[in-house]
Amino acid sequence: MLILVVDDDALAGEMTAAVLEDQGHQVIQAEDAVSAMEQLNEHPGIELIVSDMNMPLVSGVELFRELREQGKKLPFILLTGDDPAVASAQEPALDACIMKDFSLDETLPQAIAQVLAGYN
Amino acid sequence: MNVNKPSLQEKIARLRESFISQLPGRLDEVQQQVKLLKSDPEMNRVLAVDLHRAFHSLKGTGNSFGFVELAAIAGEAEDYAQQLLDLPDNRTPGGWPETLENLLHQLASQVQILIYTDMQNDHPADAPFFEMGHGDRPRSGVQSPLIYICDDEPDQVDHLGYQLRCFGYRVEHFTETADFHDAVLQQRPDAVVMDVHFPHGRTAGTEALARLRELTGSELPAVVLSGRDDFEARLSAVQAGCKAYFTKPARPLDLASALDELIGDQHEEPYRILIVDDEPEVAAYHSLILEEAGMLVYQIHNPGLILEALRNFNPDLVLADMYMPVCSGVELAAIIRQLPEYLGLPIVYLSSETNRQKQFSAMQVGVEGFITKPVIPEELVAAVALRAERMRTLRSLMAKDSLTGLFNHTTTTEMLDASLAHAIRQQETLAVVMLDLDHFKQVNDTHGHMAGDQVLLALARVLKHRLRTTDVIGRYGGEEFALLLKNVTRDTAEKLVNDLREDFSRIVFTAGSERFKCTFSAGISHYPGYRRAEDLRMAADRALYQAKKEGRNRVVVDLNHD
Repeated sequence: MLILVVDDDALAGEMTAAVLEDQGHQVIQAEDAVSAMEQLNEHPGIELIVSDMNMPLVSGVELFRELREQGKKLPFILLTGDDPAVASAQEPALDACIMKDFSLDETLPQAIAQVLAGYN
Repeated sequence: MNVNKPSLQEKIARLRESFISQLPGRLDEVQQQVKLLKSDPEMNRVLAVDLHRAFHSLKGTGNSFGFVELAAIAGEAEDYAQQLLDLPDNRTPGGWPETLENLLHQLASQVQILIYTDMQNDHPADAPFFEMGHGDRPRSGVQSPLIYICDDEPDQVDHLGYQLRCFGYRVEHFTETADFHDAVLQQRPDAVVMDVHFPHGRTAGTEALARLRELTGSELPAVVLSGRDDFEARLSAVQAGCKAYFTKPARPLDLASALDELIGDQHEEPYRILIVDDEPEVAAYHSLILEEAGMLVYQIHNPGLILEALRNFNPDLVLADMYMPVCSGVELAAIIRQLPEYLGLPIVYLSSETNRQKQFSAMQVGVEGFITKPVIPEELVAAVALRAERMRTLRSLMAKDSLTGLFNHTTTTEMLDASLAHAIRQQETLAVVMLDLDHFKQVNDTHGHMAGDQVLLALARVLKHRLRTTDVIGRYGGEEFALLLKNVTRDTAEKLVNDLREDFSRIVFTAGSERFKCTFSAGISHYPGYRRAEDLRMAADRALYQAKKEGRNRVVVDLNHD
């Protein structure tokens, strides 16, 4: 599956990409919400978005809201360095919200599986 | 699919490395931001937002890579930056620059630790081309030294091997250089005894050593034992890095002392360093540096625990922070110097103090030196090792018998007290062995004092090789020795001493053209049979006396007080 990873910290983005690629996915990376939009237009094959929460200018939640406003219904998983419950409460429509930590290689694939099961 | 695709773990490991290598740069940026924030209050808001994000990102990515401590400090800094943002300008708390700087300082030490750990974990270029299996062997001293003998004359080797085993070495021998070569790659010995001439080459033996050195990049500690005594043979030995050259027939005792000299350094106990620093992170960092250099480190973060730490850990050197709450480094040194037994203990300060006057006043209470923070790892290791070594040498001059290198009478007596106290505290057992050479006066009278010294040295060597490093071996009097065997049952102690006795009795001594053997008798007492050091010693002495009376060359165990 083709997945868009949005993170302003390039290394954190690489880390997420590494986990996804290990699961057999292809990954496109974007460093902020604007370039995320550009990538989405350029690659219509993108099926899922994994985005960091805390980014300059436009946050992950704002990116999510923007996408929904534009009618883009792609599954959206939010990564956050803080308590994920806070972000979930702030935006209940998020498909999943998980904590950025060293168990990402387990939590992220689980979240993807759950999200996709919900869509199918 | 690409089979060579790096695994996820490898990728993550590489990303972690890049993260660590970027950390100093990131930290610099944050430092710049704090500086700007301080100097330009007009722009506070915008700068504070940036600062908040920088901390946040450090926390998030730090967590992603599993650097929990770093992330926790970054998180604390993030919260503090958020507080600053939430408060109106006129209510900004007074000490905010100091608080931020303190947090930055903590982050910086954490970064230093990460960089250092990373450097140590990851030196693929230095790693040997294959494992020599040397590092895995327990070095606790339970294992006696492993010697490989390579010589194509089986008779000579058999005799030599037998004698060396009596001295407590483990010996394996090879008649083919190819077998020797393979064996070294399997398990690296502590030392090698190598012949020069083999049927397949005039200098095949020394060539085999040179080849191994090339292959492994490190020199095997080796001595040559050869029938040849010509220039070519000796040159080949020098070129192969051999440290001594013996011509056949060599006396086993001489070979043993050469082998011990080769092995000696490796069996030195690590330096024991006590670190006193109220900041656990800093203590941990310095401890890491010293441990990497092979030292044994104990840290205390509260100077109040110094007395217990000195007693329990018995350090070769104290490394103390200059500025601590409760008690300054200078006061700490003064306290240590009040105790007569630690008068000579080197104390080194770690401080950012560059003021000569203050350094001088610290020197007056007997501080050995200053190391200025932030430390350079190599400098710290060198400064500590140098002073710890001097302490060791001094101590051993005071505590050891000059002929045998064993503990002298006074030290052995002190160690009996200490070992017994330890056994009582830890609810362990302790065996005390008094051991006396049989008819030693006759050896001196018949063969001369040189021969007598040989016998004493040989016994010391057997004891050192066969006992654990935790056991205490002392020369109690002229031909009397004392052993303190920690946490062994009475039966084990008896069996061990009997084995030692049998091995020692097989050693053949030479004096001029004469050959002779020697034996010893021993008496053993045991804690908890007796609870006082003096009683233990007397009981062992009584058992020894009984062994002598029953005909010598035997071991008697004290069975009173069960």
